[in-house]
Amino acid sequence: MKFVIIGGDAAGMSAASRAKRQDPSLEVIVFEQTQTVSYSA
Amino acid sequence: MRLGHRAEAIDIAGGHVTGSGPDGKSFALGYDRLLIATGAAPIVPRRPGFDRPEVVVVKTLEDAQAIKARLQSGSVKRAVIMGMGYIAMEMAEALSLRQVTVTMVKPRAELLPWLDAELAATVRGELEHHKVELRTGFDVARIEAGKGSNVAVVDASGASLAADLVIVAVGVQPNSRLAADAGLQLGPARAIAVDRQMRTSNPAIYAAGDCADAFHVVTGQRAWIPLALRANRAGWAVADHLTGREVALQGIAGTAVFKVFDLQVARTGLSVAEAAQAGFDATAVTISASSRAHSHPGGSPLQVHLVGDRRTGRLLGAQMVGREGAAHRINAPAVALHATMTVEQFGQSDLAYAPPFGPSWDPLLVAANQLIKKMKEES
Ligand SMILES: Cc1cc2nc3c(=O)[nH]c(=O)nc-3n(C[C@H](O)[C@H](O)[C@H](O)COP(=O)(O)OP(=O)(O)OC[C@H]3O[C@@H](n4cnc5c(N)ncnc54)[C@H](O)[C@@H]3O)c2cc1C
Ligand SMILES: Cc1cc2nc3c(=O)[nH]c(=O)nc-3n(C[C@H](O)[C@H](O)[C@H](O)COP(=O)(O)OP(=O)(O)OC[C@H]3O[C@@H](n4cnc5c(N)ncnc54)[C@H](O)[C@@H]3O)c2cc1C
Repeated sequence: MKFVIIGGDAAGMSAASRAKRQDPSLEVIVFEQTQTVSYSA
Repeated sequence: MRLGHRAEAIDIAGGHVTGSGPDGKSFALGYDRLLIATGAAPIVPRRPGFDRPEVVVVKTLEDAQAIKARLQSGSVKRAVIMGMGYIAMEMAEALSLRQVTVTMVKPRAELLPWLDAELAATVRGELEHHKVELRTGFDVARIEAGKGSNVAVVDASGASLAADLVIVAVGVQPNSRLAADAGLQLGPARAIAVDRQMRTSNPAIYAAGDCADAFHVVTGQRAWIPLALRANRAGWAVADHLTGREVALQGIAGTAVFKVFDLQVARTGLSVAEAAQAGFDATAVTISASSRAHSHPGGSPLQVHLVGDRRTGRLLGAQMVGREGAAHRINAPAVALHATMTVEQFGQSDLAYAPPFGPSWDPLLVAANQLIKKMKEES
């Protein structure tokens, strides 16, 4: 299953990392418009 | 991770996202499940001069680095901060500590309209004590080239403030355009409407964080209060739902805290005005207690404002201001709101006591006892 995420900060990266941890077979792709990931919280 | 990739449209029928990549090249990618986690963006008024380089917002790491670089260049003697919310106040403190003269402006009269007037007066006093000038009733009409300073910030009546740096902190709005264009349902403040599993009105698309709304545990209604814990938790909820785990988020109580110079300002739940708006028969008390037992040196006033519903006796909200003891103490009433406690039940709570941390009757319990009395008298 392909799980696509728009936005790579608090909400997006929380979802990406937990989903991948719980189901390693998931294909997780994150689009982030800046060059920074998880800078806030 | 695809950095430098900006999503520009969601094609719901085709099940894919399109956008532009680092070198302007466009991309398209199909999804089985999609999460919109685009956050919120600072509001910048569309008025003359707001595109000047001296006018900045505080949102991203790059914003912060740019402000820091300006300060380090030594060219910033005076700053005007537009807005008096928590980000504005945190910036007022940060700039003052770097010897920048700060003036804060806002169009309306009240400093923090959601905060009880007595508590707000304490916050005002703290800012003034640190030589931050507060100009309420100042609605910025334009920003123009200044004489002897970089810019002049001018209001509708022609009053002008000199500044080398202007920080715009007048609030944020959800980045929900992608969702709106794709026809997804929006909630309050045009945040993306989601259920307790973070699903939007389209079953294959989730939304989480500052771009999405939440259920308020006091009102039961949809609300938009963009804060970090909810963003993290909503992200987790998406992952749980997606991987087949049971999840149903309770929602938010609007619990928040910030520091301004030596003061802690904390809140949870509803103010009297918000409670009345939501249909409660709201009343409130404000007390001041000591942050430590009388026997213990170094205590300072801790103000507590508690809001209750006369009809049901339910606790609706709490606010606190003090030099110590406010920030984490707010978590007790926050949990009480999740548990839909009455003020009476909250007043029966077994709260911690030792002299360095408060009187044996915790200031929250003193306020609860006062509120119980007041609700009885008024009903
Ligand atoms: C100065 C400041 C201080 C704060 N202090 C606190 C605090 O003390 N306590 C608290 O609880 N909260 C605080 N917050 C709020 C907190 O930062 C947010 O609630 C949290 O960051 C929300 O996370 P998010 O992932 O939903 O959104 P964001 O952090 O806004 O992240 C969204 C991400 O999506 C990306 N993006 C947006 N659109 C697109 C697109 N079309 N394509 C690709 N990528 C896109 C953005 O670049 C960004 O990286 C503060 C915020 C600010 C600005
Ligand atoms: C060193 C120490 C530190 C503490 N720190 C904390 C703290 O940080 N937080 C906290 O919540 N609690 C703390 N406590 C506990 C707290 O002091 C007690 O819970 C509290 O004092 C109980 O109050 P009381 O009036 O019931 O009993 P006490 O304070 O014990 O008073 C009982 C009184 O009755 C008198 N008495 C007893 N029998 C008789 C009798 N037959 N006839 C006449 N008089 C009698 C005794 O002489 C005494 O004066 C601490 C206790 C100690 C010893």
